[in-house]
Amino acid sequence: MVRITLENITKKFGDFTALRDINLEIEDKEFMALLGPSGSGKSTLLYTIAGIYRPTRGRIYFDGRDVTNVPPKDRNVGLVFQNWALYPHMTVFENIAFPLELRKAPKDEIERKVREVAEMLRIEHLLDRHPWQLSGGQQQRVAIARALIKEPDVLLLDEPLSNLDALLRLEVRAELKRLQKELGITAVYVTHDQAEALAMADRIAVIRDGVILQVGTPDEVYYKPRCRFVGGFLGNPPMNFVEAEVEDGNLIVYGNRIPVPAHYRGIIEKLGVKEVLLGFRPHDAEIVRGRGEGLVGTVYSFEPLGREQIVTVSINGAMVKVFAPEGEHFSFGEEVTIKLHEDRVVLFDRKTEKALEFLSG
Amino acid sequence: MDRRKLRELSFFLSPMLLMVFLFYLIPLVMTVYISMTRMRNWNVERYLTDFVGLYNYHRLFYMFQHDPTFKAVIMTTIIFVGITLIINVFGGLALALATFFIDEKSASFYRLLWLLPRMSPIAVYSLVWYYFFHGSEIGTLNSFLMHLGLISQPIPWGQIVPWGAWSVIIFVNGLVGVSFGMVVFTSALNQIPKELVIAARVDGASSWQISRRILIPMMRWHLLYVLTWQFLSLLTTYPHLFLLVEWDLVNRDYGTTLALYVFNTAFGRGEQDQGLAAAAAVILSVIGIIGGFVTLKVLKFERMMKKPRGDF
Amino acid sequence: MRDVETRPKKYGWIVILALLLASLPLITAFSLLILSSFSTHMVTDLSPGSLHPTLENWINLFHGKIATTGGIRVNIWRIALNTLIVALGVSGVVTGISALAGYSLSRIDFKGRKSMMVLLLLLHAFPGVALIVGVYLLYRLTFPVNTTFVGLYSFVYVILARAALEIPMSTWLMKGFFDTIPWEFEWSGIIDGASRITVWRKIMLPLIKPGILAVALFSFLAGWQDIIYVRTFLIDPTLATFIEANIEAEYSHMPLIAAAGTFYLLPTIIFFVTAQQILLQGYSGGIKG
Repeated sequence: MVRITLENITKKFGDFTALRDINLEIEDKEFMALLGPSGSGKSTLLYTIAGIYRPTRGRIYFDGRDVTNVPPKDRNVGLVFQNWALYPHMTVFENIAFPLELRKAPKDEIERKVREVAEMLRIEHLLDRHPWQLSGGQQQRVAIARALIKEPDVLLLDEPLSNLDALLRLEVRAELKRLQKELGITAVYVTHDQAEALAMADRIAVIRDGVILQVGTPDEVYYKPRCRFVGGFLGNPPMNFVEAEVEDGNLIVYGNRIPVPAHYRGIIEKLGVKEVLLGFRPHDAEIVRGRGEGLVGTVYSFEPLGREQIVTVSINGAMVKVFAPEGEHFSFGEEVTIKLHEDRVVLFDRKTEKALEFLSG
Repeated sequence: MDRRKLRELSFFLSPMLLMVFLFYLIPLVMTVYISMTRMRNWNVERYLTDFVGLYNYHRLFYMFQHDPTFKAVIMTTIIFVGITLIINVFGGLALALATFFIDEKSASFYRLLWLLPRMSPIAVYSLVWYYFFHGSEIGTLNSFLMHLGLISQPIPWGQIVPWGAWSVIIFVNGLVGVSFGMVVFTSALNQIPKELVIAARVDGASSWQISRRILIPMMRWHLLYVLTWQFLSLLTTYPHLFLLVEWDLVNRDYGTTLALYVFNTAFGRGEQDQGLAAAAAVILSVIGIIGGFVTLKVLKFERMMKKPRGDF
Repeated sequence: MRDVETRPKKYGWIVILALLLASLPLITAFSLLILSSFSTHMVTDLSPGSLHPTLENWINLFHGKIATTGGIRVNIWRIALNTLIVALGVSGVVTGISALAGYSLSRIDFKGRKSMMVLLLLLHAFPGVALIVGVYLLYRLTFPVNTTFVGLYSFVYVILARAALEIPMSTWLMKGFFDTIPWEFEWSGIIDGASRITVWRKIMLPLIKPGILAVALFSFLAGWQDIIYVRTFLIDPTLATFIEANIEAEYSHMPLIAAAGTFYLLPTIIFFVTAQQILLQGYSGGIKG
C-alpha cells in the first residue's frame, strides 16, 4: 500500500510524444481512475507506473522511494490486462500460482495462498479448468487473482471491464470497488468509460493527448470542470455548450437574455471577458411550455427513456438536450423555454476553452 | 546495454551466431582463399599454401571466351534461369488462381499434389523423371508417343542439344519452383476481403475478369516477392539437377548451370579442380549478394520490421 | 473460396479439367514409379503387358538382396535409419536454434537488430554451392585423427552443415510466429518476476506450438530429402546415396530400385496426409501480412 508520485513524466516513442510533463500524486489506498479517449496516453502512463516503459524524462516514486530505474518485478505491482492474458496452456490454479512459483515459494504456501485468493474471488471451484473453458467474467476474476496473489503494493488495471457484456460490467464494477476498499490497495484504473470512472474512483485524472487536464473527485470533475473538454467528456448525455456574449451583467444567448449566474458576477467583472461558452447539463435545467424567462426555442425531437425523456430543443439553430419528466407530451416545433439551474451553470472562456474561475487564479 | 540484457541476448543468439560463423563466414573466407590457390583433387596438404592470386579468375575469363563447354554452361544458366523464372511465377499464379475458384476439396488436393515435387526426396524425384524421360523404350514419354504413333523410335530427350536438355531441366525444376509461387499467391488471395469478389460476381464478372481487374492488382508486392526470390533461388540451385546430369539423363554441358558446374568441378568424378570451382563460386556469390540487396530494397523489407515494445 | 457466390457458375469444371491436364505428367510419373515397385518389370513404358504384380521387390528390399547373383547384401533398415538420424538431427538443431534466435529478434530491442535480420535474409539468398566448398575444407581440416570417431563425426558434421542452410529462413519464420503473440503475455510474466529466459521457456514456447511444429516438420523433410550433403560428408549410406549408387544396376532389378524409391518417399506421403494444414500454413508463415 503505497503512495505514488509522478514527477514531470514525459514519454516519447521515437518522434511521437505520448506523455507530456505529467505530474500526479496518487494517495495511499486511493482508487485513482485515469480517464481519457483512446490514444490519450492513459495506458502508456499505466505501463510506465508498472515499469514496462521507462520515462524519457521525469521520475516515479513509491512512498518516497525512487523507482524510476527499478525493473517491473521489483516494484511489487499487480497488473490486470484488458484481454486478461491468461496462459492458455496452464490451468487456472497454475495461472494464479505462477507469480509465486517464479519467486520459488514453497509448495504448501503456494497451495494455501492460491486457495485463499480464489475463495476471495469466488473461483475456487474453477481451479482445475483451463482459461478457454471459462466465461469472460470468470476469466477476469482469474486475472485479478493472479495480480493479487503476490500481495502487491499497487494494483494496476487496464480497462479490465471492456471485454465484458454490459450487464456483467455493472456487476463487476461494484465488486471491484468493494474489493479494493477491503484490501486497502492503492489502485490505478485506466478507462475510457466516464460512467465507470465516476462510479468507482475516489479521484479521477482526465487525460487527453498525453496531458492531464484535471484531477479531482467525481463531484469536482463532474460539476466543476476546468475546461470544456472535461465538461463535455463526463456525463451522459454530455454537457450542452452554447455561445453567449456578456452585456451589462447579462448573457445574450442566441437572442435570449438571461442574467449572469451569481457565482460568476465577480469573476466576469474582474476578467472583463466578453465572449463565453455557457455549459449546462441536461439534468440541470427545466423545460417550460411557451415563451418565458430563459432560453426560448422550439422542440426538435424527444426520446422517451422510461422514467424520463430527453428533449432536444433548437435555440435559434443551436441544439441542446434537456431532461423532462415522462408525463409531459411535447409536439414537434412547439415553443418552449429552458430554465437553467443557475448554480450549476459553468462558464468557459471562448478562446481558451478554460472555465472562468480557473483563469483568474 | 546492461549486463543482464547482454547475458540474455547471448543465451538466445549465440547458437545461431555460432552456426553462422562456422558454416557461413568461415567457409566463405575459405572458398575465397581456395579460389586463389591451385587446389586439385582435394590435395589439401599440398595446395593449402599455394597462393596464386587471381590465376583462377583469369582462367575463367579465358574459358568464358574460348571454352565451348564453359560457354555452354553460361548459356544454359541464362536460359534456365530466364525461362524457369517465367514458368515459376506465372505457373504459381495460375495454380493459385485456379485453386481459388474451385471447391475446397479439389483445391486442397491439387495444392498438395503440386507441393509434392518440392517435398519429395531429391533422389526419388530425380528417379521419377529419369524414367519419364528415359531415352529408351522404357521411358514413359517415349512409350506414350510411340503408342500414339507419333514417333517410331525412342528419343533420348535429354541428349538433344541444346533444347532437349534445356527443356528437361526447365521442366523438372519448374515443377519444383511453381509450388513456391502457388503458396505465396494463395496466401495473398486469402487475405483479400471476400466481399470484393462477391460484389464483382453479383455484377456479373467472370473469373478471368475478377482475376485480372481485382485479384492480380492487389498482389503486386507478392508478385515482386516471388519474382525476386525465385530469381535468386534459380541462380543458385543445383541439387535437383545433380542426379539428372550424373545419371546421364541430360547432356552434361547443356544440363549444367553455373551452380552445378561449381559443385561438379569441386566434387565430381575425374579431375577435380577446387581452385577453379571456388573462383566460379565467388563470382556466383557476388551476383547473389548484389541480387539480395536489390531484392531487399525493391521489396521494402524495412517496413516489415516492427520494433519490439517495452523498456525492460 | 468456399462461398457459392464466388465460384464460377458454368466454368468451374473447365478449371478443374485444366488443372487435371496440367497435373497429368506429375501424377503419371509418380504413380508409375510406385506401381513399378509392385511389378516384376518396370511399368514406366505404359505397356499393360509389363505389369506383373508381385511383392518380391519389397521382400527383396527388406531382406537386403539387391542383386540376384552374388551374395551382396544390403541392410535397407540400417540405411533408412541413417537417413532418419540425419533428418531428426537437422530437425532438432534447426528448431532449437531458430526458436531461441527468433524470440530475441521478435521481442528484444538491441543495437544491430535490424542489421541482423537483413543479414539473415541475405544468408538465405546466398548460393549454397559457394559455401559447400569451404565447408568441406573445414571438414577435412577438422577431421578426427582417431578413426573410431570418424563415423560419428561425419554424422555430427552433416547434421550441423545441413541444418545451417535452414537456419536463416527458420529463424525468420519463428520470429514471425513470435510476432503474433500479444505483448500482454510477455509483460505479465515480466511483472511477475520472470526473466526473459523463463518467459521464453514457460510462456512463449507453449503458445507457439504450431510454429514449432511447422519448423520441425520442414527441417525434418529437408534433412530427409537431402542428397548433396549426405553424399559429400556422410561416410555411412543413406537412402539417397543408395538410390544414386544403384541406378546402374541391370534392368531386371529396376523395380527393386523403384521399391527403394517408394520406401524413401513414404514419410513424405505420411506427412502430407496427416499434416496438410501445417504444411500449407507453415510455408506461408513469415510472408508479409
